[in-house]
Amino acid sequence: MSHTHNVILECTDLSKTFYSTEPPTDVLDGIDLTVGDGEFLVVMGASGSGKSTMLYNISGMDRPTGGRVALGGKEITSLTDAEMSRVRLTGMGFIFQQAYFLKNLNIQDNILLPALKATPKDRTGAVKRVDDLMERFGIAHIKRHGITQISGGQLQRASICRALATEPAILFADEPTGALNSTMTAEVMDALTSVHRAGTTIVLVTHDPACAARGDRVVYLRDGQILDSHAMGAWTEEGAERREDDIFAWLAKKGF
Amino acid sequence: MRPGNSVNLNYIRNDFLGNKGVSFALLIVLVLSAFLMATGAMVMERLFGAVDQLFEEARPSHFLQMHKGEYDLEALERFASQHPEIEAWHVQQMVGFDGKTLRWERPSDGESGDLSQSLVDNLFVTPNREFDLLVEKDGTVPEPAVGEVYVPVSVQQSQDLRIGDRLELSSGGTVLEFQVAGFVRDAQMGASLAESTRFLVSETDFTDVEAMDGGRPEIIVGYRLDDESAVPDFQRAYESDAALPQQGQAVTIQIIRLVNAFSDGPVALALVFSSLLLITIALLNARFVIRGTLEDEVREIGAMKAIGLSDKAIMGLYMSKYRALALFACLIGGLLAVVATNLLTQSVQANYPEAPPSPATFLVPVGALLVVYSVVVVICRRVLGRIRKIEVVGSLVHGTTQSEKQTVRRARREARTVRRTSLTTYRGGNVSRRLAVLDLRLEAGQWMLIPFVFFLASVLMTLPLNLFTTFDSPRFVTYLGVPETDVRADVAFTDDADAIREAMVADMAEDDRISGTQTFANVEYQIEGEVGWEGLGVEIGDYGSNSVRYVDGERPAEGEIAMSLLNAEKYGLGTGDELTLRRGEELTTAVVSGVYQDLTSGGLTAKMQGEVPGGADAYVVYADTVGGADAAAIASEYGDRFQSADVVPMREYVRQTMAYVTDAFKRAAVLAFVFGVGVALLITCLFLKLRLASDRPKMGMLAAIGFSTGEIIAQVRWKTLLAAGLGTGIGLAFAAVLGGPFVGALISMAGLGISNLAFIPNPWLTYVAYPLVLIAAGYLGALLLTARLRGADKSMWIRG
Repeated sequence: MSHTHNVILECTDLSKTFYSTEPPTDVLDGIDLTVGDGEFLVVMGASGSGKSTMLYNISGMDRPTGGRVALGGKEITSLTDAEMSRVRLTGMGFIFQQAYFLKNLNIQDNILLPALKATPKDRTGAVKRVDDLMERFGIAHIKRHGITQISGGQLQRASICRALATEPAILFADEPTGALNSTMTAEVMDALTSVHRAGTTIVLVTHDPACAARGDRVVYLRDGQILDSHAMGAWTEEGAERREDDIFAWLAKKGF
Repeated sequence: MRPGNSVNLNYIRNDFLGNKGVSFALLIVLVLSAFLMATGAMVMERLFGAVDQLFEEARPSHFLQMHKGEYDLEALERFASQHPEIEAWHVQQMVGFDGKTLRWERPSDGESGDLSQSLVDNLFVTPNREFDLLVEKDGTVPEPAVGEVYVPVSVQQSQDLRIGDRLELSSGGTVLEFQVAGFVRDAQMGASLAESTRFLVSETDFTDVEAMDGGRPEIIVGYRLDDESAVPDFQRAYESDAALPQQGQAVTIQIIRLVNAFSDGPVALALVFSSLLLITIALLNARFVIRGTLEDEVREIGAMKAIGLSDKAIMGLYMSKYRALALFACLIGGLLAVVATNLLTQSVQANYPEAPPSPATFLVPVGALLVVYSVVVVICRRVLGRIRKIEVVGSLVHGTTQSEKQTVRRARREARTVRRTSLTTYRGGNVSRRLAVLDLRLEAGQWMLIPFVFFLASVLMTLPLNLFTTFDSPRFVTYLGVPETDVRADVAFTDDADAIREAMVADMAEDDRISGTQTFANVEYQIEGEVGWEGLGVEIGDYGSNSVRYVDGERPAEGEIAMSLLNAEKYGLGTGDELTLRRGEELTTAVVSGVYQDLTSGGLTAKMQGEVPGGADAYVVYADTVGGADAAAIASEYGDRFQSADVVPMREYVRQTMAYVTDAFKRAAVLAFVFGVGVALLITCLFLKLRLASDRPKMGMLAAIGFSTGEIIAQVRWKTLLAAGLGTGIGLAFAAVLGGPFVGALISMAGLGISNLAFIPNPWLTYVAYPLVLIAAGYLGALLLTARLRGADKSMWIRG
């Protein structure tokens, strides 16, 4: 259960309004959320419920309209852009639905990029860390490949490697399997599970109950508010099917 | 309206509203192109029309011979009777005065001035009856009353004279006073490069003017022929008749026309040239925008194909926007051109009558605009031709404009590139900057637009500037067939020219502020042309230390002669050829030592090595100042001491001779500067707007992995700087290496006596200030466009 963890991320009364629309849209409306250290938190909700917006606001990619976010006990909402980017570099990792990579770098260089930026003095250490990660996630053999030469699953595993290259405390994943087929989805979720087991905190936004089953806890968003929270305990291969059914049933009650 | 049309119209409107910035920027560049093209065409049409109109009103001589001294009227009459092609002829009596003898005063407000700074010869004449007329602005031929003078418009402009002002002519102790009754245009001698100008007085006053001391009597023998094309033969016949007056310059209607057209011609040419560069920029730009649009809208295009729309129909939809843009740009550009032409042709309007509107007045600019429109439409259609190659599946599923084959090929190419680069071994400190350089390399195809535009903009800006500084440079004298010295003294039109010249040279020799005095005599020789003997003005003196530049060969030694480029062409002479000259009955042979460029005297001059002879028509004395002495002060001092000599600082001589052209180039340079910088800025903004839009996911990803907005912005600025710097550098190199020959070729085509134009740039302006300003404009564009990135929600870059 999450409250057994120390709190790594905490947000209070978080709100976000988009003023570009007419009238302005309140996308997040008074979110209170804590994420425990080492927890695998899943965020679910219908399209437009504010899942991704919440993810990007608690991760400092976007600036919330109101409320505060603290990472490791330190408030991050008031940091400058440069300070915040330093926090993202060293303390956070990101995985997106589309695997965005720089076309002008090979896979290894793409993964190395944040590591090199975080520790420019320790190039050898960074390269070693990256090579180990690629080995661990089974993509070492394609490290010299261009990003257009490998499969979607491999690309997303490379995304995970990149997100972990600076050994962050927390990893944010926004629908990382949204563009993948079932085999590739399984590959990626196995990888994330292994990351979680190794102690990294994960916040995952997904539509897919099968993916959600990997988490320790699921929160459900509707109209920018957290409607409910569902704790599940640690995932095991054997209990997978039961957990999926459990989530389906829980979601069905929410009208998902 | 057909349904198809209304769909197209809707599309145009929505696309415009949806991409306001991009469409507007493209429209501006197109408007500028159309505007410059139409303006250039209109200025040319107006100028040529105005010259024609003036020629019609003033009926200049088809052939004229200036002459000083005695002449044989009977010989002229005999000659006229032998030539039935002569429609009319006359001998116009003139009396020439230096500028310093003329001053003016305005009784109403006491303002006054004098013409002492003017280097041209001021000739007093009475009105002609049949041709070579001096006409007022409304086209009438004035008949001055006693005590009245009609002043040339060039003098009116330089002195700001008004009707009613008093003009005073004082020479040899006599003072004659006239009232300015009006201003006249002079087709024959009004143009900027002419070396004399004519004042119109009554017969009665002319008798008084003739009687004054210090005046130099001169005549013009003028002919109108039945057929203008007979002029060359007629000139040969005239010049081969030794009994006819020939102590002076002979001028044909062709030269008069050329000299007239030279006034605003360069500006018009510069405008057309600029517009060609701008059209190139507009087209590159359109190509970039269209390709970007196709990439963005590839799924929509795929969908249209899938529902059965033909390629032609889809292209028509896109074409409708570019057709509308081009049409609108041509309309606006054309309207602006009407206004600009009026402003740009102000000097034409002063010096020439307004040409009546003719079909050409309308057709020339419309034709120019049609050219712009057609070129834009044709190129856009070619770029849109890519639509044909877009495959339905590729576009709908993968969102790519490329076929499967192309995609594979591209992936292979990219893979090869990334294999060559590696961050694992990169030793540079700044990862962000390294990324920027790698980006530039991979996206060279897209970024190419910036170097291209900056290349064209720097050429556009640099060429007119270099032309201006070249014509404005003191060293430009070497193109005038004149050595590079500080002071020039002309001793001419006076009976005691020899004595004055000797006294002046003696004084200069004593003067320790002056060194390197060179004297040359202008002697009228005759040279054997195709039909017979023709006049040839030769400058005789010691060329040992003379710094005139030679296009071919070298300065003349004893027994040698150097020919101006146009004379060498006219007589088919080259270095080493021998020629025979005649003066009176005496024959001299000389070997051509070299050929030089000359813009003076219609470009027809020659230089012979020898003792300065006495009794010449005119003398020129050149001198250098020593130790930074003030050339202007020295010139003025010697001018006062030798009243009948014109002593000028060389800078002033060049300025006055070339003032009109120099001013024209200055205007062109300023215009080109403004347009160059403006367009560079505009295109940079437009490019970055589109680039940043398509780079959003990449920027979002960089932000997520820990790059600050500042670093992302710096990458864009760094790339812009590199691309702009590259283009500007290549542009400068191009202008420096090929610009001179290119412009020289244009000028030599105009037959002005220059074939080999080496630019005399102002290095600070051309190689430091201009590139800096241009690159700064690009950087400013980057600053403006990237400023908006700050404070943006970075997830939006990824989420769209």
